[in-house]
Amino acid sequence: MKFRVFAAFAGPSLLLMLIFIAIPLVNVFLQSFHNTQSIFETVEIETCTPGFGTQTCITESETRPVLGEDGKALEKTIFVGWESYRNILRPDQAWEAIKQLNWSGLMAIDFWKALRFTLTFTLISLPLVIGLGLVIAVAVNSLAKSIRGQVIFVSLLPFIITPVIGALSIRWLFIGDGILTAMLEWWLQMDIAMFAQAWTIELMMLFYRVWHVAPFAFVVFYAGLQTVNNDTLESAIIDGASRFERLRYVVIPHLMPLIIFVSLIHLMDSYRVFEEIVGFSSQAHVISLQWLTYDFLVPDESGNRSISRASASSMLTMIGIVIILIPLLRKTWKDHRARVL
Amino acid sequence: MSVPKALQMPIGLKVTTVGFVTCWCVIAAFPIFWIAVMSFKEPLDSFASNPLSVIFGPSTRESGKGLSVFDIIIGLSIIYFIYRFAIYHLPKWVRKYSPFNLIVIGWLLGAIFVALVVVLVFGVLFPPILAFVNGLTGFLGTPIIGFTTEHYLAVWAENEFYRNFINSIIVTLGVVTISLSIGTLAGYGLARSGFDIAFWILIGALIFRALPHSVLVSGYLPVFVNSAEYLRPILGEQAPTFYGQPLAVIMVLVAINQPFTIWMLRSFFQNIPKELDESARVDGCTHFQAFRWIIMPIMWPGVITTGLFSFLLAYNDFLVTSLLLDAQNQTMVPAIAGYFNRETTTTDQVEAVAAAVSITAPLFLLVMVFQRQIVSGLTAGAVKG
Amino acid sequence: MKKFCTAVVAALLLPGSLWAACAFDNQVEIKSLSAGFQAWKSVTDAMAECGNFQAELDQEFRDKQVEAFAANPSLYHIGGVSNSTLVPLVNNNLVRPLDDLVAQHGGQLSENQLIRQNGQVVAIAMMVNAQHLMYRQDILDDLGIAEPANYEEVLAAAAKIDDAGVVDYPLGATWKTGFNIALDFVNLFLGEGQSLINDDLSPSINNETGMYVLETMGRLKEYMDPEILVSDSTYVQQQFQQGKIAMANLWASRAAAMDDEAESQVVGLVTMASAPMGSARPASTLWWDGTVIASNITDEEAEAAFRLIMEGMDTEMVQANNDDAIWIIDGFAPGKSAEGAFATAANGAAPYPASTEFGIIFNALGNGLAAYITGEKDAATTLADIENEYLVGAKEAGLIQ
Repeated sequence: MKFRVFAAFAGPSLLLMLIFIAIPLVNVFLQSFHNTQSIFETVEIETCTPGFGTQTCITESETRPVLGEDGKALEKTIFVGWESYRNILRPDQAWEAIKQLNWSGLMAIDFWKALRFTLTFTLISLPLVIGLGLVIAVAVNSLAKSIRGQVIFVSLLPFIITPVIGALSIRWLFIGDGILTAMLEWWLQMDIAMFAQAWTIELMMLFYRVWHVAPFAFVVFYAGLQTVNNDTLESAIIDGASRFERLRYVVIPHLMPLIIFVSLIHLMDSYRVFEEIVGFSSQAHVISLQWLTYDFLVPDESGNRSISRASASSMLTMIGIVIILIPLLRKTWKDHRARVL
Repeated sequence: MSVPKALQMPIGLKVTTVGFVTCWCVIAAFPIFWIAVMSFKEPLDSFASNPLSVIFGPSTRESGKGLSVFDIIIGLSIIYFIYRFAIYHLPKWVRKYSPFNLIVIGWLLGAIFVALVVVLVFGVLFPPILAFVNGLTGFLGTPIIGFTTEHYLAVWAENEFYRNFINSIIVTLGVVTISLSIGTLAGYGLARSGFDIAFWILIGALIFRALPHSVLVSGYLPVFVNSAEYLRPILGEQAPTFYGQPLAVIMVLVAINQPFTIWMLRSFFQNIPKELDESARVDGCTHFQAFRWIIMPIMWPGVITTGLFSFLLAYNDFLVTSLLLDAQNQTMVPAIAGYFNRETTTTDQVEAVAAAVSITAPLFLLVMVFQRQIVSGLTAGAVKG
Repeated sequence: MKKFCTAVVAALLLPGSLWAACAFDNQVEIKSLSAGFQAWKSVTDAMAECGNFQAELDQEFRDKQVEAFAANPSLYHIGGVSNSTLVPLVNNNLVRPLDDLVAQHGGQLSENQLIRQNGQVVAIAMMVNAQHLMYRQDILDDLGIAEPANYEEVLAAAAKIDDAGVVDYPLGATWKTGFNIALDFVNLFLGEGQSLINDDLSPSINNETGMYVLETMGRLKEYMDPEILVSDSTYVQQQFQQGKIAMANLWASRAAAMDDEAESQVVGLVTMASAPMGSARPASTLWWDGTVIASNITDEEAEAAFRLIMEGMDTEMVQANNDDAIWIIDGFAPGKSAEGAFATAANGAAPYPASTEFGIIFNALGNGLAAYITGEKDAATTLADIENEYLVGAKEAGLIQ
């Protein structure tokens, strides 16, 4: 295929990605080293606000941005180097804590706290999703053909449901005296508050994520199982391989590319975990990297945004994801070379 | 086809398997089933801490809204028949009556048809007939389970949820169509070219997919809001404001979804033997003609599966749509989040639950109809490394 | 079915009768962006009666209001604001001075509704709100407890209620991480008569007052639901309605829900009282909600928008929706549900001190306080970390060097 033909085929798709992803990304990269501020002045202002029946007027000095000639607030952009990164990573404080092996000191810094959760969440949910998906796929594959359709249909439900709604529906089951909490309380004969401590919230988030994603793993693996070569299986049987050995040495190697594919998707998705934090309002106990970025971006009560810290934090998130993906990327590169040569 | 003896399972394993699958199905369906139950009850029942009163809804029943044994039997059997129809007969009909290259539209019409039947039967046909029959049947006709559809009426009629529904459909269809059109071309190009740049494009796409969306989306806002100002020197007074425009949101969602789409489709095309289109090229076709006449007719299983993933992404999106669409063009998911965030009374919350169930219903139908295509599309190679 | 049909028929007939409810026929296309709670719904519905009006009710309106108003022309004509959300709009010069329009069309407005800065009218207020004490009269009577006037008395009462074991948790509170818990801290702090930020914009919370406030919060926590850090206004309201708590500081706009027979099991049992007193004034802040008009629109649009606002905030609307809020519009008949808010104001509660720097410290408080409540950090560390967070934010915004 000539390069021009290739460009014509891939062009529209690449153009869209360039406009809507690559350019904003470059922008974010630049912003993480710059800071745009208003120029403030202090002015005496008399403000009258309504009260219950009577108005209160107070004169006080207030900080206001200086307005330019066009009536817009004057702004200046300055190069700040690594300052935003420093503000997020707090290297001195973190290093101090590490030197003294002071875990809670390290966790007192938002970024490290978020990183801790994001990593544990990603790494714990990965084997659970793959394992559960695999087990369901093998189990469904051994069912009678007549009921497989219904089982697949039910299994796919958690995957297709809108994430916001899925998270809320799990939340309702547990919050306050939600029915599952009530059931647990009755069973264990003790007072349980699922939203009162970090570990129970983390458990619920893990449960939700595995519930939501395992069906995807399942359906991919199930599709893969349809293409397992029966001859290989039969020769394995002739060699006297047990059921488990067949699974271990024939089926799983066959599914390996799919396992890698699902891992790849899952690593990317769970590394930017966000819906769970909002859905379970877990900010008090655990936060994730994307939530941290989001929190910097959302204007506070008075409309301030921390754009440059948000940019820095998203660049850090990205670096993290690239590091996690490196082993998988190397494998893809090898495959690519093998295919080309 | 009989299963070889060595592949047959010992009885113990069989029981374990069936038990495990049953457990999984219960866990998978329970939360969804539960919000569906909640949505049909008065607030006092919906949020009761005793599960039995949520299911049977005593206070809903007391206010005279309930289902009798008779209602339940009839209802369940009709649901069963519709399900059978969707699973077994609909696919055949679709294949039979839709022209070959329009099969996707055939499926869509099929899905809409089933949805219409459900709404007609349960919404229009049922209530008067059953009210009449219940009066005649005595014990079987007295309500035993509290049941009310008032929250659905409130959501769809009073709060005009159908507007959000229409907006959702527009955005979703737009995303699926555009995403697949440019995605298949790119996927084919990437699969058939040996350039190193193709590999790096794929890696780039992979990293793009890993980006946290909140970063991208908030970067769009100022540009979208001011687009009229920026574009005025070029386009004059006709310069559009992108903010609030469904088309702009469609473009954003397509772009966000492209990495996944081209990865899926590239691996799908890689599993179509190269010789097929190469032989066509030998016969004098250009690449585009080969794609049009050789590849297009056989690519549907992969495209349908990929399309379903695009559909889910567009339909379920919250971050992009909530920030970039205005009230008139708002889709269903941000609309529901709006319900929950509002200063709410308990009644509002149950209405929000009803809205949440309404939003899930089309997905339900979709999977029911397309379930086989998902598996066969994946099997045909859309996911092979 | 029958009910549905009548609803449809009514919906078809309504527009005709509704249009008659508006004094003029609006010809200019007007859009508004505001929060989504019930009072806004009532007001924007009344505006819509005049035609050519579209309201966007969105609880997360803050995320886009400044950007949308900064566009030229502005994407919205009318904005709904409160004390705090007015700040960024005024700072960026995005709201139109309304003096002329008030003189021309605003005859119905009282002086109390006009929000002035240096004498210029920048916004028109419609309602006020404050958090105040609500308590179960029956429980306190049974146990012989008088109405608690300050937090020591609240704690004493909570201890007695706890001993009697009549409810799940003696106290409720809106302590959800973020806005809610930050506001409670600010309320307590201002109740001591201190300011959270010095004149030179340096923070001043890591001090005796800050320690006192945290310590008080820690003692209150002992009588609360362990899930207090996810408990927002709706959650506390439901706990009250289901009889699970006996006392809480809650928004005045929630008071009417206690007597809603369809949802509440404690109808008539909840008394509204002033917020508990700090050593200087009540531990509560006064809030208002109102409308502004964008500066980047034509004069003609501004006039139409202002007339719509007048139509939305008239006596008729208030009388139809009396219990939605504490209106400051002519025709409001304060009922039992407004008593607590009035008592709080009468005791001298201060307005919420909205400003750019306050927004930053408020945000830092919202994110940082949870660590103390969960026991992760002690009081001094918590306060020091919040001050540090404020300094970083203020420096990034350009407020301090």
